[in-house]
Amino acid sequence: MYSLRVVKVLKHNPSISTIYFSNEIPSYPGQFIMLNVFNYEEIPLSLSSQNSVTVKVRGETTKVLANIPTGSLVGVRGPFGRGFTLTSKHSLIVAGGIGIAPLLYLYICLKKINSNVLVLYGAKTREDIIFKNILKNDVIVATEDGSEGFQGTVVDLLLEINNIEKFDKIYCCGPEGMLKRVYKVLRDKNLLKKSEFSLERYIKCGIGICGTCVLKNGKRVCKDGPVFNASELAEEFED
Amino acid sequence: MTLDVSIGKLRLKNPLILASGILGSYSSSLNIISKYAGAVVTKSVSFEKREGYKNPVVINWKHGLLNAVGLANMSAKDFSNELKKFNKACPLIVSIYGYSAEDISNLTALFPMADAFEINLSCPHVKGLGADIAEDQELVKDILAETKKKTRKPVFAKIPYSKNIIELGKIAEECKIDGVVAINTIKGLRIDIKSRKPVLSNIFGGVSGEAIKPMALKCVWDLYEEIKIPIIGVGGITTYEDVIEFILAGASAVQIGSAFFYSYKIIKSIKESLESFTRVYGPISELIGAAHRV
Repeated sequence: MYSLRVVKVLKHNPSISTIYFSNEIPSYPGQFIMLNVFNYEEIPLSLSSQNSVTVKVRGETTKVLANIPTGSLVGVRGPFGRGFTLTSKHSLIVAGGIGIAPLLYLYICLKKINSNVLVLYGAKTREDIIFKNILKNDVIVATEDGSEGFQGTVVDLLLEINNIEKFDKIYCCGPEGMLKRVYKVLRDKNLLKKSEFSLERYIKCGIGICGTCVLKNGKRVCKDGPVFNASELAEEFED
Repeated sequence: MTLDVSIGKLRLKNPLILASGILGSYSSSLNIISKYAGAVVTKSVSFEKREGYKNPVVINWKHGLLNAVGLANMSAKDFSNELKKFNKACPLIVSIYGYSAEDISNLTALFPMADAFEINLSCPHVKGLGADIAEDQELVKDILAETKKKTRKPVFAKIPYSKNIIELGKIAEECKIDGVVAINTIKGLRIDIKSRKPVLSNIFGGVSGEAIKPMALKCVWDLYEEIKIPIIGVGGITTYEDVIEFILAGASAVQIGSAFFYSYKIIKSIKESLESFTRVYGPISELIGAAHRV
């Protein structure tokens, strides 16, 4: 474990903040760190860039973290886990809610290697749509309440896109219900093999030995994931 | 076959057992490991659900791991339902703990799928449980005797690295326990020098991995000199050579835990190396305690 200083806290809205660290963490998009908010708890957070995490307030620790004073020290273990496989060709990113966090890091890396990226990004309402300044024209937004962009969920939006078979890689992250629906869409179009999902589970050790985060197929989210090829996830998403 | 061992009534296809607390909270991971292991021990369970300690609970360091998970488990009832999905590719040893003889012994009835039980008398980082209980030898006697009354399945006692380890071994033998498992983790801690704080939320935890192998070997050696019941050696085994060291010291079988940090398939790798070893040096069963013989 080591410590890093918080140099900037970007509050996107009352419940979502991006916390920037003093140092870049050598890592791959899709990996996560175990972030220790001293005197609170250590929690798993996907890296949203080489030196940031993006957090949504869900409980005590995330609330403290989302409002942490700059200059604070935080504990870091990691980076852990298997990241996304990049492509320099055509990529489709499907983001639901706070699932945008690891996908933003992925987006930055894909752009660096000149991939042609389309981002489908859905949330409940326009307030929850973040990073517009980074995603620019590559994103199509969906809001459930119709306050911005397409009205509906990001899955509804995905179904509107023609020829998703043309993409070389499809990447997805978001709430469990959304992942399940996207899985079925991809399965029905025979696109599981070229798709990768980032999953979330309760994590304790983060290093692959306690067994708290295992999936139904016995794979460990913290070590064999959090990114999995969609073809490995039948036990998880098939009824 | 050259890797066959038996521990009392339990026949194992090889001496490599998954240690408690490692990848043993759900059938899905146990079902992967059971394909290669001689047996698997589950995460320790008590009647009631237990949260365990807040993260950070486990860290890795240069010579092994350090953990204070805090005995986190779902309720015995829920765990029993979970274990119904176990694939039975090898014997299933359910690890049980509690505060009293009644608590612990009554757990056995809840796990009909268990082939054996391991009583946790050695967790070093939870007050009043595990190793704390082992300090009270009368209580230990009660627990072991009661549990033997309530089940016909083999019962093992996992005992702690402590100055009474031999006495505990003798008590286990007196109570007709089917084997002792030695040792659990050893108390230790780490401090992060930049934040100036202990790394674990519980401040201290149990050290495991290669750092504790010599201490574990000494315990197995001493127990083999003093008791006749089988010893299952555990503590820092990461290679097939380590396994042979423990067998020669007196262990009939071994448990492997921290080494899973290096590979999910560690038991498979070690098993293959052991197969080669026994082709040259003969069956494992003939090596048990051989280092004691003149």
